[in-house]
Amino acid sequence: MKFSYNWIREYVELPANLSMKQLSYDLTMRTVEVENTENLADALDQIVIGRIDSLESHPQADRLTVCKVDVGLPETVVIVCGGINLAVDMKVAVALPGSMVRWHGEGDPVQVKKTVLRGIESYGMICASSEIGLHDLFPGSDDREIMDLTSFESPSGTALAEVLLLDDQILEIDNKSMTNRPDLWGHYGLARELSAIYNKQLKPLPTAVVAHTPSGFPVEIDETDRCNRYIAAVYSGLKYEPSPYWLQLKLWKVGLRPINNLVDITNYVMLVTGQPTHGFDKGHVDERIVVRNARSGEKLEMLDGSKLELSEDDLVICDANKPMALAGIMGGKADSILPETSEMILELAKFDPTTTRRSAQRHGMRTEAGVRNEKGVDAERMDQAFGVADQLIRELIPGAKLTAYEDCRPIHVTYPEIKVPLSFLNVRLGRELDFNAVAATLKPLGFGVAGNSEDESVLNIRVPSWRGTGDIDLPDDILEEVARMIGYENFDFIPPQITLERAIRQRRIETERAIKEYLAFRAGFQEIFTYPWIADQYLKAAAIDPAKCLRLATPPSPETSHLRSSLVPGMLEAIARNLRYYDSMKIYELTQVYEPGISNPSEEAETLPLMRRKLAAAVVGKDPVKVFREAKGVIELMPRIVQTEALNFIQKDKPDWADQKVWLNIVSCDRVIGTIALLSAQTMHSADIRKTMAAVIELDVEELEPLPSRENKYRPLPQLPLVEQDFSILVDRNVKWREIEDLISGMVRSYAFIEEYTGKQVPNDKKSVMFRVWIGSDTKTLTAEEIDAESQRILKKIRKKLGGEIRQSNS
Amino acid sequence: MIRPMSYDWGVFVLWRWVMKDKLLTMQNECIESVTQAGSEQALEEIRLKFLGKRGELTSILKALGSLPPEERKETGMLANSIKSKITTAIEAREQTLIAEKSVIEGEFDLTVPGLIPESGSLHPITQMCYDLNDAFHSMGFEVFAEDEITSELYGFDHLNFPPAHPARESMDTYWLEGSENETGAKRLCLRPHLTGASVRYLKKHGAPARFVYPGRVYRNENTDARHERAFFQYEALIVDRNFSFASGKLLVKTILDKVFGRDVDVRMRAGFFPFVEPGFEIDMKCLVCGGKGCRVCKHVGWIEVMPGGTPHPNVLKAAGLDPLEWSGFYINVGLDRLVMMRTGVDDVRMFHSADLRFLSQFK
Ligand SMILES: [Zn+2]
Repeated sequence: MKFSYNWIREYVELPANLSMKQLSYDLTMRTVEVENTENLADALDQIVIGRIDSLESHPQADRLTVCKVDVGLPETVVIVCGGINLAVDMKVAVALPGSMVRWHGEGDPVQVKKTVLRGIESYGMICASSEIGLHDLFPGSDDREIMDLTSFESPSGTALAEVLLLDDQILEIDNKSMTNRPDLWGHYGLARELSAIYNKQLKPLPTAVVAHTPSGFPVEIDETDRCNRYIAAVYSGLKYEPSPYWLQLKLWKVGLRPINNLVDITNYVMLVTGQPTHGFDKGHVDERIVVRNARSGEKLEMLDGSKLELSEDDLVICDANKPMALAGIMGGKADSILPETSEMILELAKFDPTTTRRSAQRHGMRTEAGVRNEKGVDAERMDQAFGVADQLIRELIPGAKLTAYEDCRPIHVTYPEIKVPLSFLNVRLGRELDFNAVAATLKPLGFGVAGNSEDESVLNIRVPSWRGTGDIDLPDDILEEVARMIGYENFDFIPPQITLERAIRQRRIETERAIKEYLAFRAGFQEIFTYPWIADQYLKAAAIDPAKCLRLATPPSPETSHLRSSLVPGMLEAIARNLRYYDSMKIYELTQVYEPGISNPSEEAETLPLMRRKLAAAVVGKDPVKVFREAKGVIELMPRIVQTEALNFIQKDKPDWADQKVWLNIVSCDRVIGTIALLSAQTMHSADIRKTMAAVIELDVEELEPLPSRENKYRPLPQLPLVEQDFSILVDRNVKWREIEDLISGMVRSYAFIEEYTGKQVPNDKKSVMFRVWIGSDTKTLTAEEIDAESQRILKKIRKKLGGEIRQSNS
Repeated sequence: MIRPMSYDWGVFVLWRWVMKDKLLTMQNECIESVTQAGSEQALEEIRLKFLGKRGELTSILKALGSLPPEERKETGMLANSIKSKITTAIEAREQTLIAEKSVIEGEFDLTVPGLIPESGSLHPITQMCYDLNDAFHSMGFEVFAEDEITSELYGFDHLNFPPAHPARESMDTYWLEGSENETGAKRLCLRPHLTGASVRYLKKHGAPARFVYPGRVYRNENTDARHERAFFQYEALIVDRNFSFASGKLLVKTILDKVFGRDVDVRMRAGFFPFVEPGFEIDMKCLVCGGKGCRVCKHVGWIEVMPGGTPHPNVLKAAGLDPLEWSGFYINVGLDRLVMMRTGVDDVRMFHSADLRFLSQFK
């Protein structure tokens, strides 16, 4: 919201030497964030008022006029102008060379220079209002109609900013920082805040002068929880006309467009007090004012031309028959101020903030009135607003007369009184304040501060109405008021005193980090994040039953309404997207998935769904055997690096996304906790994963059992060297490595699979398996004969059990 | 091969003269070629030529036996001294050659890039999160992880959000289908912020407490380069007796000093959030201009980085703590924005893109 500094100073005399920088700083630190300050005169530098001395047609251009203009210099200057409304003795705005204007009111400002126009040198330009940013204040018919300043009496050469009284600072305050301060949505509220900050007297606002006792006016409030006070003030003898310049100027400076005197008065009142008001043409109001809920389907055409279809959730202002305004947001077109209006009902009311906000949102109407009503205004402020309105109407329209006045107030709101122990303030503030010091910070803001008759160390604090709309009701709120008025910058850092009891040990948290770091730093995987809502395509590709997924009521898009019960769909999408740039990759994600069910992490009454932390990883590449073995190896090594109980593999429950053959369940402590598998052809097809192979891991991280401490154990090094022997054996295709492993494991010190081969030189029903063993003795170095005998023993056993045939063996 | 002829003294004298001259010439020739030998192989060839089994000097030494004893002695001494000199020269040259030589023969292009170890990386947000965890860990803060689905009770009610607060509506928060028309503990949503986790933790562990609880939160909104529906926050809370808000700066500084790697000036100013009282907007001094004002800080000299404040009494009550006894300080910072500030990422949507071209930049 914009504030005029001159306007604020009508209510409080601020220090003469106060700079805008200091003011912005003080307000920002204590109250609200000042986003910007700008002097309106700055944009009008080198623009002056001038009088047209003579006019001549341009000899070479029909549409241009050569003007001699008195700009306060000893001699008139020549300016070539395309304006259509030029006249001798007309007063105009002259942009002298060096000033900034917008050509035809568009684009960025450009600097005016002396220019030769069709052979005649022009000393600057005569401006249309839009060219110098004053269009809303001086609306012209088009950009060729120049601004007529004849009614201004200033002598030629006077700076335009001075002529138009534009030497004013405009403060722009961040609206977000004012959401909880409805009292600041008018100039008087900000003036009060500044009066407290600078310890200056706040001047009172005018109160209503009711010269005679006017009669009442019928007002009915049907929904007292949505409107607890409604003042209707009826004025007659009005005349619809433009406002005087000073009023137009005030509105324009803070961003409102002047409209006509009656509407401008209502806006002025709002800009002073923060209380929105509205005027109805009394001639259109049948019998009485009724505040009620709209009827479903009721229609209302608004002042801005929009046509609303109302519902029972909307609150409307009606007369005996019809709705005339959407309460607190905007008036209807038919019955608000009209050019023929001579009698007006001025509305001052307090509407429920939530009702206002929801109506505004439903109908997409953000208005100055709505923004204020949804923050909440206090009922007392309505009296202030009436005082300001009454005075202004009398001042502007001498014939105006208050003919009726009704204050319908079914509910009186009371404002809290808070007991605050001084000790509470002193401990929490970290400094010693006495009664007087606290009173000195609070009283200028309008708080009543009194000693408690029973307990001297307690303050009784009465909250002013304008702060009692939910903003302040606890000792902590008072603490904040005191602290911010002292100034947060005046509190030094107090190092907290902390008791150390024990070292932090959080095994599950540590394990999760260890997994992530293992995958990233050792195993070469890239961590990714995906959204928890899953696109239907990938849900289907992963063959996950949508019925077993939670859904969002208002999802980001219709096809992403399901929440993930597995990380696999997200992996599929990530693989598919990255395949455009990479033909191989290793990625993982570790996060939470959800399923229908019941969990109570904090209390019985709260039943949350089931949530588990899962890990998904994918190895993508051309060779299916390689990607699968890589993925398997990652899981085989993980328990050792991450320090959890061992992981094993079985085939028990195949997930639907897994290949028919190549899949394994991961087992920890006899429980299946996940799967490693190649993606099935079907899944890859549905997920648009083409021309590549992917091994995917998914496992439940919460089922891993972290070890209490590192369990790598030392084994003494062999005293005598071990002998390394490689074997290559030919066995039936269906023989598993596990069978070979089981045979040799008891016979050797250690062993390792090297490779498996099928193809040329190997019969169709056979495969060649190569492995390495280490043999040795604790007591002596083996001789060549002993080594050979040992090798023969191994081969004999394999031949006997598996029918294997030696292809080669070497050491 | 030269054979001495013993039968003629005159010839013998001539031979002796010739012999001596020949030996000296051989010595010079040999030492000259040793000095010029450019490789160990060339040196070896020289050694063989003179000192090998059939080398020139070896032959002379072999022939010494047939000379008269007197001559044998004189010529023998000369030959042996030459052998010794040559051997020394060869050894010296060999040392020099070893000292000067490279293990690589021929050209080696040092500009060819190294072999980079194959590695992945943590997501940049995880990196930032772990950096902060480490900093807080060093001050005895625990790490807490709340579930991502919460209820209106913990997301709003316990946090002192007024009943009609706009954030409770479906245009702001992702409510779960089937619960959206319930209230309180029965109305479920993807958590809109982390603060609810503080109540869960305090309920479970009581006070005093020091903990951080990073995580992803969700807002129903339209996305652009600066707005996301899923984003990461980092929240820290300290709860203790007689705790002044003036101590809260510790949390702020811990984060900023870690992120920016140096002491960062901060200021706390008035700010409003339902779950704190007093509440603050916390600014850091602009690192670009040092507080003088520049484009980055919109000429203010300060950049708003996080909100914070003392837990509202209603929040402490909801957590089962007596607000007259306990106080504390919250801070909450957007991890996405911190990473953007630290790395220059200009579109918040990149973080959930899973795009490896982006993520691999953070190795
Ligand atoms: Zn700066």
